[in-house]
Amino acid sequence: MATFATLVVLGLLWGGVYLLMAEGLNLIYGVMKVVNLAHGDFIVLGGLLALTLFGRYGLSPVVAFPLAAALLFVIGAAVQGGVLERILLAKPEGELRTLLATFGLSYVVANTSFLIWGSQFQSIPFLQSAFAVGPIAVPQGLLACSLLAAALAVAVHAWLRHTAVGRAVRATAQSALGAAACGLNVRRLRIVTFALGAAMAGGAGALVIALVPFQTSSGGDLTVQAFTLIALGGLGSYLGAWLAAELLGITEVMAQYYLGSDAAAAVIYLVFIAVLVFRPQGLLGRTMRI
Amino acid sequence: MTTRRELLQTSAAITLLGAMAQPRRGAAAAGPPIRVGCSITQTGPYSAPAVFELQGYQLAAAELNKAGGVLGRPIEIVAYDDQGNPSTAVQLYQKLIHSDRVDLLVSPYEADLVLAVAPLVTRARMVMPSLGANIEPYQGKYPYLIQAITQTPRYMVPVIDLAASRGYKTVALLVQNTQFPQELAKGIADEATAKGMSVVFREAYAPTTTDFSALVLKAAERKPDVIIGATYLADAMGIVHAAKAENVQAKMFAFSIGPVEPEFGKGLGPAAEGIFGTTLYFPSLKTAGNEAFVADFTAKFGRAPDYHAAVAYASLKVLAGAVQRVGSLDQDKILRALLQTQTDTVVGRFALSPTGMQTGYTSYVLQWQKGKQELVWPREQATAPVELPHPAW
Repeated sequence: MATFATLVVLGLLWGGVYLLMAEGLNLIYGVMKVVNLAHGDFIVLGGLLALTLFGRYGLSPVVAFPLAAALLFVIGAAVQGGVLERILLAKPEGELRTLLATFGLSYVVANTSFLIWGSQFQSIPFLQSAFAVGPIAVPQGLLACSLLAAALAVAVHAWLRHTAVGRAVRATAQSALGAAACGLNVRRLRIVTFALGAAMAGGAGALVIALVPFQTSSGGDLTVQAFTLIALGGLGSYLGAWLAAELLGITEVMAQYYLGSDAAAAVIYLVFIAVLVFRPQGLLGRTMRI
Repeated sequence: MTTRRELLQTSAAITLLGAMAQPRRGAAAAGPPIRVGCSITQTGPYSAPAVFELQGYQLAAAELNKAGGVLGRPIEIVAYDDQGNPSTAVQLYQKLIHSDRVDLLVSPYEADLVLAVAPLVTRARMVMPSLGANIEPYQGKYPYLIQAITQTPRYMVPVIDLAASRGYKTVALLVQNTQFPQELAKGIADEATAKGMSVVFREAYAPTTTDFSALVLKAAERKPDVIIGATYLADAMGIVHAAKAENVQAKMFAFSIGPVEPEFGKGLGPAAEGIFGTTLYFPSLKTAGNEAFVADFTAKFGRAPDYHAAVAYASLKVLAGAVQRVGSLDQDKILRALLQTQTDTVVGRFALSPTGMQTGYTSYVLQWQKGKQELVWPREQATAPVELPHPAW
């Protein structure tokens, strides 16, 4: 029983980590219907920045978190303003063009990181211990990431619902043309959104590198993982992404324990395929979408 | 070696390194040079360990030339950059064999590249001392390849030896489901059984696994004395993370590849303390000529040699020795001479099976102690005493 409870706790906490790494992608997709293929590379860049701040200046990932987020905010704004805004979205090929542009961007980010940090796996010793709750060990690092993921989800949700800028962003998401007709600066809203999404990726990386070692080429896997999660949740839906993250976390931990680690990797994608077949709109469909 | 060990390495893409191998004093070696060809990953993500390897070859060539060359002729290394790409390596070995017509071949790094060029080298009937650790190529499949690196199943033999010497009885094995760790795990299990220990848990995991919590919990339920990971770096760190966070105790934790990397200690900090790893070479080894090798390598390249440098250096030295004994560049005669070679190198005793599998080289056990790697086993090579059992996290 204690083991089962431990597994549930671990699954939920890992779910939080997965959510943390997917939130930025979800925001960008929700507003702009753009899949940012450089998302994982942004996460890795944030993580490696935290590594340098830790190694060179002894700064903990808690300090690195806002710095990495700020740096990625700037990079994100530059990418959206300088590149993606210039790509014609109107035609059906528009989506493919942005996809290709972010694909190229992921190479630029990953290879620049490689020149700076090399290709070895890196991690930061931070929050490695656990709180004992009765017989259950609650790993501190996982808990911190999960709480932060929840806080970010709530914050983004509140921002989108209750602030003027947030409402304007949602208006842009519903109809860019309509929003522009009402006098909103759609271009600036998209830049802010992309920058925020990138910042969330960078911040996530600064913490997650303490749990999962990153190398400069890890980005691709992280993008796939995050994309799987938001597709499972119903692209752009925040509650859906959270549910999907917990589902993935629990499935993974349970499958690893009861079916074996080798099977665990497959089970997650089986769940994903099942959802795509039986519920192509995602777990929550259109509810709670941005 | 299938591992890809990298440090940030800005390697100049020098393709022809003949100049470095010219005799320094001019007098000793004369006549046309003996040209030794290879492709090396000089640029790209996998270049860091490969450049160590190239430097090992370069140092060996320089020393041979200083001592009068081979067959009285200087050694010249012809090295091209394969960028870590197997098909590029194949093209380059084609060029080396058929257009440059080099006299001898040495190995690229790492195992994928060795396997890629193996058929070609075999067709050309040229001997190649190879730095691929898995044993399959050396069991008759590619008769002209001889293994110049510790064979995979023997990678963790000294770890089992150390555990057995402490009276530990039970082992849990966590194995990455890829070729090298699987072959290694078989070697570990066989050795443990031979030493009277029993493998109470054994499970493979996908190479993409990042969360090891459930796996480690499951292994711990069998209460093993020793937890061994047949791993690379990222998974070794992941397993230590999970063990510490879940407060999983064992008397000993050991990993094949992971602890040997400096990033293991940096990334895990205090959690790395007391963890064991294996290495094929250590600068402090009291092996034949090692002190001079470390001094010369450091003087020439400004850094201490790692195991890639050492095995490459030793492989060219052994090859040159065989050529010298044969007295010609006849590849079949060189092969026969190599198969009978038993010699002490900087890495350890070099000896081959009749099909070219390495039976001499073994490995050494290191332990993270106070933020540093110490060589702890075998005892006669130790730089510090073993610290066992593993303390509570």
